Amino acid sequence: MSEGEVAEKKNSLGFWRSSINPWAVRTKDNPERLAFVFHRISGFLIIAFLLAHILETDSPVWSQLIYHVNGWTFWNHLMAIEAGLAFRVGEFIIAGAVLFHAPNGIRLLLSEFFGVGIGRPGDPKPPYVPGTFTASQRTWLYAVFVVWIALWIFAGIIIFT
Amino acid sequence: MAGRASNIQLWQYITAILLIGLLGFHLLERVPWIWGLSTIDQTLTAAFVYHGYTSYGWALLLLAYVALFHGLNGVRGMLLELRQGRLYTTTINVLFWIVFIVFAAIATLTVAKLPPY
Repeated sequence: MSEGEVAEKKNSLGFWRSSINPWAVRTKDNPERLAFVFHRISGFLIIAFLLAHILETDSPVWSQLIYHVNGWTFWNHLMAIEAGLAFRVGEFIIAGAVLFHAPNGIRLLLSEFFGVGIGRPGDPKPPYVPGTFTASQRTWLYAVFVVWIALWIFAGIIIFT
Repeated sequence: MAGRASNIQLWQYITAILLIGLLGFHLLERVPWIWGLSTIDQTLTAAFVYHGYTSYGWALLLLAYVALFHGLNGVRGMLLELRQGRLYTTTINVLFWIVFIVFAAIATLTVAKLPPY
């Protein structure tokens, strides 16, 4: 194996190492990295839920075709099952995923897409702290974590009461 | 869409902007006090859900399309980061469109063929 191939292999961390491992290793003093990993994990949870949710909300239609029953009677039956504690806990977890993903997504839209809150480029000076780390987006990031927890508590009240 | 990295991320931002309004409204549908109700279960009754579909079914359908695209496109972007190659990229892109079209069709069926309550 040539030197170039070794370097390429070393940098090719793979999906799980590049996604999950930085959460455990490189998040110290780096809340952006923490948010990055949370964003990916919450995104996975949400897309898995979304596919199930589309099938669930279509149940008044497919239950008539498959089981030859009244679609809305089947819907009520499904909702009675989903009123159980296990499904409530599941809803609470999904709510947490959505309520982190959305505010953090707005922060990413502002900083990455619209380019605001990331500071101005300048000459590197000791102690070489990246400008983005002292710009508004860092404050917004802390706000995202606060808003997330507050909304998640609010969602918990709605789901469990 | 050719599935280029720049396109994939651009569509993520565009769909994210749409989702702020659409998903925000959908979540508010489940807040019982807004609708004069007391529990989330009351917002999931057949009558309440049917009323939603007949009043703003188009918005729910648009939400399904946009959320599906955003979610699946995000997974596609992550999978294309994992490894590169023409066959791999084509496979991921084809799978993306198949899953998107199948679930978008199911969502369309929900609104188009919803039985009367």
